[in-house]
Amino acid sequence: MRALLVLTIAGGSVAHATLTPLVSIAGVTPDLPLIMVVLLALRRGPEFGSLSGFVTGLLQDAAGGGLIGVQAMTKAVIGFSIGAAGARLRVSQPLVQVPGLVVLTIAEGLARFALLQIFRFPAPFGELMMYVVLPQALCNGFVGAAVVLALAWAQTVRGRLEGSRA
Amino acid sequence: MKIRKFVLLGSLVAACLLLLTLQMRGYGSAARDVFAVVTAPIQTGLAKASRATFGLWATYLDWKNVRAENRRLREEVQELRVQGLRVTETSDENRRLRRLLALQEHLPLTTLSGEVIAREWGGWIRSLTVNRGRGDNVPRLTAVISPSGLIGRVVDVRPGVSIVQVLTDPTSTVGAHVLRTRTPGIVEGDPRGTLRFKFMARDGASIQTGDVLVTAGQGGLFPRGIPIGTVRTIDNRGAALFHYAEITPAVDFARVDEVLLVTGDAQHDLTAFFPTGG
Repeated sequence: MRALLVLTIAGGSVAHATLTPLVSIAGVTPDLPLIMVVLLALRRGPEFGSLSGFVTGLLQDAAGGGLIGVQAMTKAVIGFSIGAAGARLRVSQPLVQVPGLVVLTIAEGLARFALLQIFRFPAPFGELMMYVVLPQALCNGFVGAAVVLALAWAQTVRGRLEGSRA
Repeated sequence: MKIRKFVLLGSLVAACLLLLTLQMRGYGSAARDVFAVVTAPIQTGLAKASRATFGLWATYLDWKNVRAENRRLREEVQELRVQGLRVTETSDENRRLRRLLALQEHLPLTTLSGEVIAREWGGWIRSLTVNRGRGDNVPRLTAVISPSGLIGRVVDVRPGVSIVQVLTDPTSTVGAHVLRTRTPGIVEGDPRGTLRFKFMARDGASIQTGDVLVTAGQGGLFPRGIPIGTVRTIDNRGAALFHYAEITPAVDFARVDEVLLVTGDAQHDLTAFFPTGG
């Protein structure tokens, strides 16, 4: 199970740069590793969330060709925050998770922008938010909803199978 | 326990900041190279795999589209064939009606055009039902012709329709003569649905295969000179008084759809108005 998780996190992050163009919706690509980190953090807590976020972000940075460490940091923080919040808030409901993903994507975008500003990355805030962060946040919301529903369905099927075996 | 979490997060953030700082100070290429060594082969493999997968998918979609297109085109071909048949049918009808109209206009007779709406083809009786009847003042025994020749005569007039006895009816007889030799005789129908020409042996010595028979015009029923058919075979019965010739009808009775009913004076020679091959 752990090997599968490691493979999913590492492979998924590297694959993201290669395969994302293929799953783009109207030119907007979902941040699949972020969705993965959020869902993992919700299930496994802040430590796993921050670690998976760090690894995922690091590999995304490396595979994408940007500054290595930017996404590693933002995703680690996001993973930690959502993992910590998951224990206190009722975030297991899909209706909370989907808007949550939108908000988290925006938060991650803002954090990334702030970090890049510290390291003198020249980017106009308005345009970046309008054409990159917000569309991606909405896209993540839709894709996240599909993933959440698929996972819920898989769990139901699994539960039924186990029930029938018992 | 809580502190451990924050220590972990702090370490991760610190590692990131360190990485970023190192990169900003120009030490980032080594780290990137290390990552590239790990990620590049994976990415290459993934790219190949995704291309192959999507290539297969694209091929499948193409195949599916081709199938759908093929089905659509088949339906279209079927539709066009039906349309083509309709056009051919209309064109044929148009051609027949033009011929009929041309004949009607040229003939020095009063005629009434009619459409065949039924056929009795059992053998006992061979008749056509034409959509002209009592309301059209069609007299009984009216001659019925087509642009190719004689069809028969009206034997029964009913409201809205007339029954035409076809030449091949077993009880049908028509006075005729061979156009080339003027040999007189009688054209009779028979139960097989064929026509035969009965003529006196002494008059018919010179009749040949292919000779055209036309109506004799005697008796005032049929106008003179309407083609009946051509001699197919001659049945020489030796010393018998009458000889017979098998006739190929000028009109294909099974296919005729439009006819002309000669309602007026029938005392005309119509030889010049029909194709007789000579």
